[in-house]
Amino acid sequence: MRSSALARLAGLLLVLLPGVAAAQGGVPLPRGWIGTTNEWLRGLGIAFALLNLVLLAFAWRNLRAGTITGTTRGWLFVSVGLVPVMVAFLSFAHGLETSATVTACGSCHTMTPFVRDLRDVKSDTLAATHFKNRYIQTNQCYTCHSDYGLGGTIKAKFEGLGHVWRYTTGLYETPITLAQPFPNTRCLECHAQSQKFLNAAGHPKESMHDLMDGTAPCIACHGPAHPEQKKEARR
Amino acid sequence: MNLRPIPPRVLKIAIVLALVFDVLALLVMFDTTPIMFTLFMFIGQPLFAVALVLLLAAQLIDLRTKDLL
Repeated sequence: MRSSALARLAGLLLVLLPGVAAAQGGVPLPRGWIGTTNEWLRGLGIAFALLNLVLLAFAWRNLRAGTITGTTRGWLFVSVGLVPVMVAFLSFAHGLETSATVTACGSCHTMTPFVRDLRDVKSDTLAATHFKNRYIQTNQCYTCHSDYGLGGTIKAKFEGLGHVWRYTTGLYETPITLAQPFPNTRCLECHAQSQKFLNAAGHPKESMHDLMDGTAPCIACHGPAHPEQKKEARR
Repeated sequence: MNLRPIPPRVLKIAIVLALVFDVLALLVMFDTTPIMFTLFMFIGQPLFAVALVLLLAAQLIDLRTKDLL
């Protein structure tokens, strides 16, 4: 009895203390590591959602009596009005953060060849080079395929919604192509101010204007960004 | 104006809607795929909003039937 309670407590701690799980990644963690914000959002979100299930059960039990008492109102207020607000906030924040990860992009099978190449250390595509050298630390797909700033995030989320719709309904064609040409601004966000970019022989001062306004696409010289796709059957 | 108190059935519906929202939120937390997140955003959250409106309406009508509002 006591050991099962301890096991349950340990399980709860594993969920709520993400630092324990993160330490298994093989990468040394800084002293006093307590996990990432997203891991905490997830842990707390799960805890609040489970708590809310219990509270809803209590509210339901009270309502079954037929009369609505002060206690019933209290349970209802907490289980339908209060705790779900926390659950909504935590799961929204976690979902928003996690939907930008490479794993999330790769969860649709149409993206498998891109993600496979991205993670291939032997690949020399632009995406793989950025990934294996960690030129971009996290969310590598999202970083290159969304504009920066709040507007970029909102636009990317709406585009993502379109992707989910087309993937679910099968309304897409292979090979997958970009809806619009890849804008230079997404490369320039990181590279524009770097000395390596400014002093590169391939970027003479007279061509800088064309690079900045996108007349000369970065990808024309630095591509291919991804491997060539084969025509494949859908779903 | 005579208002009838909200029947418990309406509050039971609010609980069921909150329950569905809660389950979808748990699914998002355990398996965050874009499809799951979209379901949560476009089904889970509106259901929670409806549950909240039902609860608030019930409370409001209750207060008005008791002439407290």
